Amino acid sequence: MSELALLIVRIGFVAVLWIFVFSIISVIRADLFGQKVVGRAAKAAAPTVVSAPVVPAPPSARVQQTEPVGAIPSRLVITQGDRAGVELALTGKEILIGRAASCDLLVDDEYASSQHAKLIQMNNDWLIQDLNSTNGTFLAGNRVGTPAVVKLNTPVRVGKTVFELRA
Amino acid sequence: MANPSTAPLTTAKPRIVRVVPRNRNIEALLLIFAVGINAFEIAQIQLAALQQLTSEFMIYWAPVSFAALVLHLTLRRRASNADPLILPIAMLLNGLGISMIYRLDLATVANHGAQLFAGKQVIWTLLAMIIAGAVLVYVPNHLFLRRYVFIAMFVGIGLLLTPMLPFIGRNINGAQLWIGIGAFTFQPGELAKIALTIFFAGYLVNRRESLAAVGRKVLGVQLPRARELGPILTIWVASLAVLVFQHDLGTSLLYFGLFLVMIYVATGRAIYVGVGLGMFVTGALIAAKIMSYVSGRVDAWLNPFDQSNYDAVGGSYQLVQGIFGMAHGGVLGSGLGGGVPNLVPLAESDFIFASLGEEIGMVGLFAVLALYLLWVSRGLRIGYKHSDDFSRLLATGLSFVIALQVFIVIGGVTRVVPLTGLTTPLLAAGGSSLVSNWIIIALLLRISDSIRTKAKVAE
Repeated sequence: MSELALLIVRIGFVAVLWIFVFSIISVIRADLFGQKVVGRAAKAAAPTVVSAPVVPAPPSARVQQTEPVGAIPSRLVITQGDRAGVELALTGKEILIGRAASCDLLVDDEYASSQHAKLIQMNNDWLIQDLNSTNGTFLAGNRVGTPAVVKLNTPVRVGKTVFELRA
Repeated sequence: MANPSTAPLTTAKPRIVRVVPRNRNIEALLLIFAVGINAFEIAQIQLAALQQLTSEFMIYWAPVSFAALVLHLTLRRRASNADPLILPIAMLLNGLGISMIYRLDLATVANHGAQLFAGKQVIWTLLAMIIAGAVLVYVPNHLFLRRYVFIAMFVGIGLLLTPMLPFIGRNINGAQLWIGIGAFTFQPGELAKIALTIFFAGYLVNRRESLAAVGRKVLGVQLPRARELGPILTIWVASLAVLVFQHDLGTSLLYFGLFLVMIYVATGRAIYVGVGLGMFVTGALIAAKIMSYVSGRVDAWLNPFDQSNYDAVGGSYQLVQGIFGMAHGGVLGSGLGGGVPNLVPLAESDFIFASLGEEIGMVGLFAVLALYLLWVSRGLRIGYKHSDDFSRLLATGLSFVIALQVFIVIGGVTRVVPLTGLTTPLLAAGGSSLVSNWIIIALLLRISDSIRTKAKVAE
């Protein structure tokens, strides 16, 4: 073989060796960070799996905000996060919020704990209680320590999700 | 206002169920890549040394590649969730070793020598891969090893001692590490490292609480209780015995280091490592004063270019030739088949790393080191991810054996530590080393399979 061909083969071999090393590293990278990407892509591609369509926040919500403060909250509206616009009727005495499948309000992001917080009805008020979550629950920007009353239209943040109670 | 959209929030979100083991497809792709690189190596060597491709190509490439395919299919059936990276890395390293040994054989043939190694290496690789496959098939769960912890201890110590028996023990190049029957020789210490890792893992799982218990506090350091030093003393004496009677610094360092790391992982107390290292260094220094073998090695390490060391029998000639070889290779190397690595004694076994360095250069050597690093990191990650303590310790120990061995051998060749007689895992010529390293690979794959299976059940 000519000198030039030998040089190309020589450098080519070392290059191929490193390409192999980096392809292994890329698999490890995908292993560490990629799962989430795959999950989101699959979620986006599979809208039919959700059993009922997600309806965006009704336009009438703004009108309702003008109602007198002190009215009894009847529903929970997610204002920010992956599922913004979704609503949940406030039925029952307690609403469990978190990442676990058993929660009443599923918050699917990595900043939420599996059982993150709880909404409890007392008389006509709803109290938010933090269930010793890793990243905390925030009521109007303040971290919730002892259970606190959630007033109407006050933002509550759990992970990346923010919701409000509305009449 | 009646709201129609209140219901869906409580329904479970869609879960992504992975039906096809994605791992195995990644592994298949990487294996094809690795086997392709091996073909590249052999072709390059033949073109450089013989100026043509000959049918010998198939002897050194096809059987091992076929064995890789069989092992991959075995994994698909028996351990479909096992780690996808370990097998391709191992294949590439093993193939690189075979190519390099074949290249050295070609040089031997050109110089009318008779001692050839590549054919044997292929046969041993096949045997080792068959044994690895057998481990995967017949050890469906590695936890059963925990029942044989003390048997593993006796087997390990027995294997360590067999080279000292009369008749079958062999002394090769000054180290009493082999057993031989006729022309067939074997290094039982290589298998002992697996048996002892199993023993350490089982023993430490049972004793970790008492070992971690705090004793008296001296000078602000929490010392372990005195009676817990018993096992360390035992292992210390045993590893010094290997050094004194078998004349092998590397093996004794390997076992003692392995024990220290496993005790550290099990208890989380660095004091054991400190005390242990202090004991080993003291013992080795005393040995160096008393035994000419050790002091000669240390002197050859510190002053290799000294003329008297260079000329001495068992002096630094080999080490210096290896360094010259790597210097000749430089950054990019002379290309496979383009250098003269055969000038180094034992270029195909102890000094395979220097031979590689001459031909693939520093850039190539770093790629090889990166592969070892990735292999070890995968092993440690398997240990980290496993929920069972025995498996954690076993995986950590097995991967650390590889790491320490690579450090001792390559450190010896590159003059970081004194030169010792261990083998470079998977690269160097030698059957016992291949068999034991492939068993380690099979065990790591088996342990990694049980992690993912468990995670799936938990979902």
